Amino acid sequence: FQDQAEQFFRSGHTNNWAVLVCTSRFWFNYRHVANTLSVYRSVKRLGIPDSHIVLMLADDMACNPRNPKPATVFSHKNMELNVYGDDVEVDYRSYEVTVENFLRVLTGRIPPSTPRSKRLLSDDRSNILIYMTGHGGNGFLKFQDSEEITNVELADAFEQMWQKRRYNELLFIIDTCQGASMYERFYSPNIMALASSQVGEDSLSHQPDLGIGVHLMDRYTFYVLEFLEEIHPASQTNMNDLFQVCPKSLCVSTPGHRTDLFQRDPQNVLITDFFGSVRKVEITTETISLDRDLAGFESKFPEDEFATEPLKYAEQLPVAQIIHQKPKQKDWHPPGGFILGLWALIIMVFFKTYGIKHMKHVF
Amino acid sequence: VVEGLALLDLGVSPYSGAVFHETPLIIYLFHFLIEYAELVFMITDVLTAVALYLAIQDFNKAVFKKQKLLIELDKYAPDVAELIQTPMEMHYIPLKVALFYLLNPYTVMSCVAKSTCAINNSVIAFFILATIKGSAFLSAVFLALATYQSLYPLTLFAPALLYLLQRQFIPIKLRSRSFWLYTLQYASLYLCSLVVIICLSFFLLNSWDFIPSVYGFILSVPDLTPNIGLFWYFFAEMFQHFSLFFVCVFQINVFFYTIPLAIKLKEHPVFFMFVQMAIISIFKSYPTVGDVALYMAFLPVWSHLYRFLRNIFILSCVLIFCSFLFPVLWHLWIYAGSANSNFYYAITLTFNIGQILLVSDYFYAFLRREYYLTHGLHLTRQDGTEAMLVLK
Repeated sequence: FQDQAEQFFRSGHTNNWAVLVCTSRFWFNYRHVANTLSVYRSVKRLGIPDSHIVLMLADDMACNPRNPKPATVFSHKNMELNVYGDDVEVDYRSYEVTVENFLRVLTGRIPPSTPRSKRLLSDDRSNILIYMTGHGGNGFLKFQDSEEITNVELADAFEQMWQKRRYNELLFIIDTCQGASMYERFYSPNIMALASSQVGEDSLSHQPDLGIGVHLMDRYTFYVLEFLEEIHPASQTNMNDLFQVCPKSLCVSTPGHRTDLFQRDPQNVLITDFFGSVRKVEITTETISLDRDLAGFESKFPEDEFATEPLKYAEQLPVAQIIHQKPKQKDWHPPGGFILGLWALIIMVFFKTYGIKHMKHVF
Repeated sequence: VVEGLALLDLGVSPYSGAVFHETPLIIYLFHFLIEYAELVFMITDVLTAVALYLAIQDFNKAVFKKQKLLIELDKYAPDVAELIQTPMEMHYIPLKVALFYLLNPYTVMSCVAKSTCAINNSVIAFFILATIKGSAFLSAVFLALATYQSLYPLTLFAPALLYLLQRQFIPIKLRSRSFWLYTLQYASLYLCSLVVIICLSFFLLNSWDFIPSVYGFILSVPDLTPNIGLFWYFFAEMFQHFSLFFVCVFQINVFFYTIPLAIKLKEHPVFFMFVQMAIISIFKSYPTVGDVALYMAFLPVWSHLYRFLRNIFILSCVLIFCSFLFPVLWHLWIYAGSANSNFYYAITLTFNIGQILLVSDYFYAFLRREYYLTHGLHLTRQDGTEAMLVLK
């Protein structure tokens, strides 16, 4: 039991969150919404509740006037799998999906009036899954056809999350063209990233449905969905299997991944660590005494070198000085030579035009 | 300007930031006058109006004299009595010009906005006054000042030269020695004063970095903040490797019309000056409504062309509507977010098309009147049927 109790703390996380973002609008980007909804479905099936999922969909496909089958979003052709279902809860919809809102959700700098369902209330024991899909390019992802988020901004947002202790481990999956460029700039610890294509490659869509008239899913997410359908809350499949999903023969693009910032070996990371909300519950009638220093639990965060005392805002700003400010004395004056030259020229022009006879009036 | 002065107070060159692109003489002027900025701009507008008033007064006298001379020389066709300008109708034109400038909503807006365009306008107005009075020296000095301020009044060199030649009764023939002599004199006056002013500005800050900041800025158009001109949208959406080519094309467009217009309008240099000023304010890299106000002030001088103007209703509607739509679409684009730059640029384009239409309409009307004056009002073709004048 001691071993198992130690195992209890080994993975380090106690709760799971998911932020699923679809950034494209318009009917022909049906597949991006279907991508996000399939990941949503898997994540919910594996145990993450709606209260811990922030779902951002930039457009409404299910109730789109062009949808021949209203209230459905299919992921397989021949309408095999409806990922919309009855209990989808979209937190950010339509025009609310903006770069600013996304970054605010991640960093937690949200106006006080935001409802709980729109907040990412993670803490330093949370494993967060971030899934993004849409149209992208080398170093950016397009939101709503009007703005972009760059890989630098994303990396800085993750660093803010790290500094604010908002995650324990983070899995970032992106399914766009040139998706690998989005994770190139990450520099915060404990991030693992997967992308559907390398820089210079396009991510392709899977199959069109002739009844609906659009492509239903992107290849990478289609095969990820197939993979995830096999997973159940107790499965021990690890990340290395996820890296093998969708080889080049099936996906045409080369999926990539990045694990150098991650502290654990991907072999030991279970899929359900990120995609599911697995609670380890062991019922026992014996008492266990836990050792003070448990192996595997090291302090992950560096100690502050010097403790600073909390600063009060009012003391930092010299209010009295500002209020009673005198108008500033100008420090710069034009050089004497310039003034002399300028006025000499003006006087010369004046006399040239109007004649020397005025000189005696001046002097 | 405030930013430039603040940087200077901190001991840094005011051109090191990307905001200040005015000349050193403006620094000198505003160093002392920055607290009274509103008064300064009001006074400059009044000065411009006074200069325009005096200039047009003199110009009317010159026009009337020339007209009398041509009538006595029998250069006019017999049935053009109604086209001749009389002193009665020309009496109030200078006052109208001054009022057109002062009461133009564009002038009021640029005065309220405290735009340095007012200073540009007043220098150009003084230049026009000096040219029409006939003083080559003063006109060269003011033209040098205007060119020093913003590069484009360089094109006003040609009409000023033509006017002064006309005044000195020197015929404009390419082989005539006196023509070249006078041209050289005027050009050398202009260039010398320009060089002197630039050297003087060097002594203000002891550095030459005002040259790339002022002239390099005007010519290479790095800042693409939307304005009422044509440059910003093109360069915002252009690929980097084409931008040099298109900058050259756009800048040549301003200077290009001078020579053909000089050939066509060599008898009428003041009209040429008006057309040139309009072309500058349409095609310049960073136009403002103050530039538009300046050439619009000249419209009463050619009010006798009214019967020949063809599109006056449409273009006045276009100009008025566009002026109202500018702030509306700006608000929609920037604040409401429900329009985009295309909407604003469409209005910019329409406004500039209206201006171009205005200029070309006046041009057509002017040439038509000139043709009628020499060939009579009732034009007939060779077989006797009535003919129409067309601008090809």
